[in-house]
Amino acid sequence: MRPHKFLCLAGALLLCAGTLPLAAAEGSGGFSLKLEPLVIGALDTDVDTDSAKFMEYRDLGSGFMVPKLSLSGESEDGNRYLTLNFNKPGKRDGRYTIEYGLAGKYALSFDYNKIIHNFGNNGKLLWTQTSPGRYEIADPTQAALQGAIVSQFARDRAGITFGFLNNLIRPYLATAQEVDLGLQRDRATTRLDVLKDRPVSWSFEYYHENRNGTRPFGGSFGFNNVTELPEPIDYDTTDATVSGRWAVKGGALNFGYRLSKFENNVSTLIYDNPFRSTDATDASAYSSPGSGSIGGAAKGLVDLAADNKMTSLFANGRWKFAGNWFAGGAVTYSDMKQDDPLLPYTLNTAIRGIGFDGRTFDPTNVANLPVSSADREAKVLNLNGDLGTRFGKNFSFTLRYRYYDYDNKSKRIEFPGYVRFNAVWENIARVTVPYAYTTQDVSAEFGWNLGPTADLALSYARKSWDRKFREIKSSDEDVLKGSFDWRPNGRVTVRASGELGDRSIGHYDTDAAEASFVEPEGASNLPALRKYDEAARKYNSENVWAQFLLGDAVTLSVGVTHRLDDYNKSQFGLKKDKVMQYNLDFSYNPNEKTSLYLFGNISDRDVDQAARQSGATPSTRDIDSWSVKFNEKNDTYGLGFTAKPNTSWAFDVSGSYAKADGNADFTAFVGGLPLASPGAGLPARTAAQDIGNYEDFELFSAKLKVDYTINANLTVGAWYQYEDYTADSFINEGLTNYLPGALLLVGSNGDYTANLVALTLKVDL
Amino acid sequence: MRFRGFTITLLVVAAALVAGWARAAPQAGAASAATYVGSETCATCHDKEAAKLAETSHGRAGFAAKSPHGCETCHGPGSLHVDDPDIKANQPTLAGKSAQELSAICTTCHTSGAQQYWAGSRHETRGLACTDCHSVHNFKSDNAQLKAVSAMDQCFNCHKDVRAETFKNSHHPIREGKISCADCHNPHGTVTAKLIKASSVNEQCYTCHTEKRGPFLWEHPPVRENCLNCHTPHGSNHIKLQRTTVPFICQQCHSNTRHPGTLYDGLRAPTLENEEPNPLASNRLFNRACLDCHAAIHGSNHPSSPYLAH
Repeated sequence: MRPHKFLCLAGALLLCAGTLPLAAAEGSGGFSLKLEPLVIGALDTDVDTDSAKFMEYRDLGSGFMVPKLSLSGESEDGNRYLTLNFNKPGKRDGRYTIEYGLAGKYALSFDYNKIIHNFGNNGKLLWTQTSPGRYEIADPTQAALQGAIVSQFARDRAGITFGFLNNLIRPYLATAQEVDLGLQRDRATTRLDVLKDRPVSWSFEYYHENRNGTRPFGGSFGFNNVTELPEPIDYDTTDATVSGRWAVKGGALNFGYRLSKFENNVSTLIYDNPFRSTDATDASAYSSPGSGSIGGAAKGLVDLAADNKMTSLFANGRWKFAGNWFAGGAVTYSDMKQDDPLLPYTLNTAIRGIGFDGRTFDPTNVANLPVSSADREAKVLNLNGDLGTRFGKNFSFTLRYRYYDYDNKSKRIEFPGYVRFNAVWENIARVTVPYAYTTQDVSAEFGWNLGPTADLALSYARKSWDRKFREIKSSDEDVLKGSFDWRPNGRVTVRASGELGDRSIGHYDTDAAEASFVEPEGASNLPALRKYDEAARKYNSENVWAQFLLGDAVTLSVGVTHRLDDYNKSQFGLKKDKVMQYNLDFSYNPNEKTSLYLFGNISDRDVDQAARQSGATPSTRDIDSWSVKFNEKNDTYGLGFTAKPNTSWAFDVSGSYAKADGNADFTAFVGGLPLASPGAGLPARTAAQDIGNYEDFELFSAKLKVDYTINANLTVGAWYQYEDYTADSFINEGLTNYLPGALLLVGSNGDYTANLVALTLKVDL
Repeated sequence: MRFRGFTITLLVVAAALVAGWARAAPQAGAASAATYVGSETCATCHDKEAAKLAETSHGRAGFAAKSPHGCETCHGPGSLHVDDPDIKANQPTLAGKSAQELSAICTTCHTSGAQQYWAGSRHETRGLACTDCHSVHNFKSDNAQLKAVSAMDQCFNCHKDVRAETFKNSHHPIREGKISCADCHNPHGTVTAKLIKASSVNEQCYTCHTEKRGPFLWEHPPVRENCLNCHTPHGSNHIKLQRTTVPFICQQCHSNTRHPGTLYDGLRAPTLENEEPNPLASNRLFNRACLDCHAAIHGSNHPSSPYLAH
């Protein structure tokens, strides 16, 4: 058993051991324990495919179930309390909480939350994981595949085609093992609050999460040999926080220390090249195996997520003063560190590296790296202050200031070159770049109570960015906000808000993108492109929502939301992003026994972007440009109905329907690079091809639940749930395990239809 | 220092406000003629409310230690109401009070902890009262005495657009009940925009996605600045909560020489199962597209990975 699991288990046992006997002991003296009504049942699940999407975040497997198990207790005087809540105990998505305390004095809590995340089922894998992070293909298989390729290359290199490779790999795929891809997060939190009734109180919190499983991961050997593997995940995250609160009249000061530690128990991924069993170099590093080259590495090497640690000191407080004034401040100073040992440049023994002095070296030996570990460190300082008042009954004013500084203190490390795709030494010296940035926000907000039923607020903010090593060193954004909230009576509520933003930028330094080159070779990105996170932009957003109580039983609400981000000075890159949404809710609650609600939301999003296709140097020809307009429409509807016609029967109906329909409309020009070179024997392209299934999805879900109460202690029930999911996306349309240049897992996470039936018994003991 | 002038101006305005209005603070209202009668007296008629209250911390002795007046702590002294319950004007009801007045009752005690930044917060400024989300007597949730059955449902009462987002194909497990809006946001106010609990968006994301925290040998600067540059946290039609799907989201910043600027408009790569060659086929427009090769897009520690490949 791992130490962290032991700690969590020990914590839970300690909590139970400490609290239950204590509670029981007090039971004789007036502590009463009560088991809440217990629901047990049986679930039968029928799904027509093996799609992982059905149980993406939930465990709905057939079998015995306990939806919830609760126990509560308190002392006779109500001071001491104990609650245990177990949701879906025994399931992969179960949750367990225990709380014990003395009201107003101390509180002890434990929370254990299990979260699943499934990505795909029955993916096909040629490799076998022989140890954590090591994927191997049997030597004879690897040798046979390489032998066939070498023979063909010698006989007729043009014969190394997709068909040839597919025929080679197909028999092995037919017998390949199947893997399910998914993660399990098990997170435990223990918290103790003490001296809650004293001016200075203390809290201790310990959090631990283990994340275990696999997720799809790219382990490419080049454009002609992209391999997809299950990334082995075995992460431990541990956080510990000690904090205090000093409560004084009119305010409080909070202070503390937090340690957060991330550990990856599988930090390296080594995987066999399916098409090579012996190391070789490959000058192009792109096209192997193919008619141009059959070289490359026998093994790939990936450095998985690095261990890291963050420590933080924090203090914050808020005080009220005379005249309705308040002032607050918050400071957090954090240190983020990462010092994982570095892996060698490659495992390919056929490659020789070339140092700054021109001498060759063995790149598989970590001793030949300029440093042995990453030695990264960033200091983060966050300062916040606010000052505000409410003067008279009708006006308020708040000033805010925020400073956030991410200061990357890491040293720049120069590497004489690197190994591309594990296949060839690139004698291009590179240097690490400790990107850093600072943001500042200053804002002033005025609020005006227009009588007891209406509120108006106006604010102005200026945001600023200062960056190191990026294209835009500094920029400012002016933001105006306004809101109006009106409740003329108890039956009508109207809320409206709007926001205008204008970000201006100075010189756009295109050479900054080449900061990781020891000897810059000149910008490779289009000079006119503006990266949208830095680019000049104007945006506006508006939101209007109104709710009406019609009679005593009906509530109706309607809303409209709009936002436009306009990168009006960007010739290339993201140019526009616009979203329009409408929503409507209706509810009918004629009495305590009956309720009905309906909701609908439709949204329409348009995104425009542009690019230009280049060769070895950035193109200056307009005809090489292309653009795309994306449109995404989302419709979401839901309903719920509950009825209790008498003391025996209860009905509950719920359902939802969500549909996404996306389209991508491309434009390119005849004669330009994007439409050039269709391939030998193929007709010339006359237009760019649009994408009609730019991620289309539909999910329909309906559930009917019936309960029959036999007596005060016994209720029997049944529910039926139907789900139908369809996915149609260009990105995985027609995917097979082997494509030209790609060996994929293709785990199933597409269409499914599910029928679930459950019988339940509710017993009040 | 570009900020100095602006900051000074604002501070001057603040100082003027202090000088001008601090003295104009309203005086406390006239004392009521009513006196306290005790919770037991209230419970003789309002038994349902009293029973529900007893289930909560407001009904426990810890509360009594802070206030001896029980129900009347919030409702005010009730002797006049007890003397003649039919006189409406004497009923210590909270109905009809403004949002400001209602919240003032709660913030008499709830001034620190999660409620510390309530004054001046977005929800307070928009005229919301504590009682818009919480109920002392008629709550439905297991935690925090919410009017809805969960924090998610409570938030979705107003944030309809976010509710719709959670129905999208890629979403956090909010609808599934495994994480809550309150895991990332504090609705009572924070020092970070959008009521984010952590010091920044990225630090909020790192609380669950710790492996992305770094710093790394090779960094991807927009990743380091803001996760929301590429991801939308409430829901997306594209994998991994991407704002626009790969490869196009990458091409919103990268129109470099060679492959990043290529129009990847092939709809399907040819396979032996689909032998008809597609003249527009691209081997970079399927599966995870750019991420098939640039797998370490959040940052890499590999000496040979300046392009975030491995």
